[in-house]
Amino acid sequence: MPIEIPKDKWPGSIRTVTIGATSADGGTRSKTVTLGGYTTLPFMHFEAPMSNPPVIAIEIKSRKPDDWSPLLFEAWGDVMNDPAQWAKKAEETGADLLVLALTVEDSVEDAVKAVKSVLSASGLPLIVWGPGQAEKDNELLVPIAEATKGERLVLGICEDKNYRTIVATAMANGHLVQARTPMDVNLSKQLNILISDMGMPKDRILMDPTTGALGYGIEYGYSVMERLRLAALQGDAMTQSPMIVTPGFEAWKTKEAKVGEGVPEAWGDWKARAINWETLTAMALIESGADVVVLRHPESVRRVREAIGELVMA
Amino acid sequence: MYIIGENIHIISEKVKEALANRDREFFMDLAVRQVEAGAKAIDINLGPRKKDWAEVFPWIVETIETVVDVPLSIDTTNVDGMEAALKKITKAQPILNSTSAEPERLEKVPLLAKKYNAKLIALTMRSEGIPVEADARVNIAIETLIPRMMEIDLPMENLIIDPLVLTVSGCQQYCPHLIEAVRTLQYAWDPAPMISVGLSNVSNAVPNENRPLINRVYLAMLMGVGLQMMIANPFDEKQNDVIRWIETKDTSNPLAAVYNKIAERICAGEEPQMEDFDLSDPEQSAIWKTTQILLNKVIYADSYLMN
Repeated sequence: MPIEIPKDKWPGSIRTVTIGATSADGGTRSKTVTLGGYTTLPFMHFEAPMSNPPVIAIEIKSRKPDDWSPLLFEAWGDVMNDPAQWAKKAEETGADLLVLALTVEDSVEDAVKAVKSVLSASGLPLIVWGPGQAEKDNELLVPIAEATKGERLVLGICEDKNYRTIVATAMANGHLVQARTPMDVNLSKQLNILISDMGMPKDRILMDPTTGALGYGIEYGYSVMERLRLAALQGDAMTQSPMIVTPGFEAWKTKEAKVGEGVPEAWGDWKARAINWETLTAMALIESGADVVVLRHPESVRRVREAIGELVMA
Repeated sequence: MYIIGENIHIISEKVKEALANRDREFFMDLAVRQVEAGAKAIDINLGPRKKDWAEVFPWIVETIETVVDVPLSIDTTNVDGMEAALKKITKAQPILNSTSAEPERLEKVPLLAKKYNAKLIALTMRSEGIPVEADARVNIAIETLIPRMMEIDLPMENLIIDPLVLTVSGCQQYCPHLIEAVRTLQYAWDPAPMISVGLSNVSNAVPNENRPLINRVYLAMLMGVGLQMMIANPFDEKQNDVIRWIETKDTSNPLAAVYNKIAERICAGEEPQMEDFDLSDPEQSAIWKTTQILLNKVIYADSYLMN
């Protein structure tokens, strides 16, 4: 019996945003990543093509982190001591783009050097996060933005309390920004309005709605994403930015992923569990509209890549 | 519109200070000015006063009844404080603000209303919280609040149902449902219960400069579905204009016409349409945007007018 699938025709679309610039456009990237540009909920191919399916970023750090899970040290090994080598390995692992997270220990010189070395080692588009302290973020991100003018990096992380300096330097140097708000549709839209109001072109903003991990409030996170996405498709210009989320960070914070000792035996194999945690967190977010997922473990990257491939073909 | 004046509220720093100083003049003046501005009753919300209720509640009643004759609305969660106030009332029939469908409050507060022949505001809220859906709120009225009043023989004309306005900043999905709850509650019983709302709750947590606009637009919508009583600020002149325009169907100036059109659309179960507004006029454009956030069509943000 033939079944007629009901189709929605949405008046709005997700804004097309391109990260990275090749030499033709004033940068040095060997490829760029384009997000958005579609007019449907994720993978509803029968309604409209998903022109730019979700992409995977791998998170690396300017210094070897001391608070990451041993499973991640085991996976990456010695390259974690050098952001350039780490970047190269991440590219080989199958990342579409990279996130370089700076730390509070980095001086301006260290930070600029780390960014430049990553840009030399890998041709992938790059997202750069400050250490997450307002003053330090501004201190590091401004010289980085200037030293990489025209690369179309994504600079982050802009938050309600600290966005002006980052937005200003991104505007002046041809970069993009990542706008993060704490799981709240109203605040997410508000920050987009404020950033746009500074004169930042809307196609240079990524929304980061924050999400929580599987078992740790992810349902709040994906509900917010779903609501933002529905509003965007209904035509609300201030919610139409592509969304970037950090399931790697979220999942590897959880006890289930991070720790292998002192947990119930019934939890089973640690490594399998940890990778499942990151993968399932990422997939739930991809199904609710994420355009960029930032991951940490190479095996999660492989699995999420495979799953995206299947969803695109389905 | 029967306005219960909201200005004697402990959240105000001036009220807090005046209460600390037992400043009779302050409260008398605030009461008189509210009545002069059109308030038909005066709400008194000084908090629960856990320590000094036995002194404060009679004192404030006596103070305010010295200068005005209108009903006083005793707005507190402290049942002993309520009774202390009720014992002191000598003028108009008072209002108890409020009970909810939570068992403990529903047990005690209606009995006080009965004993002292007070009107009673009853909130459509259960212990589990406030339901989003209009129907669920109406059901609380029909299944819990009204039966309780019948059980103790509280005359239906003394019951005022408050279906609970929540803020567009954070509880946006509740805003259109509240409108429908106000519409439906009028058919919930015969005789129809009175309905009152706390209007300015709709703009809680909204930046101050946008609050009056949001209140006014929501008011026009609620008047469209027949709202006739609210706890509100009687000094808000632009709000009073809206009330007058809609009550007298005055469309003699563009803003009056726009607010009437909003009320008409909502009355007819329609949504305001873009063509109802002259969007080249910044004020009308702001009103249009406000209708869209209140009907949950566009996601609220503090700077929604810039959107």
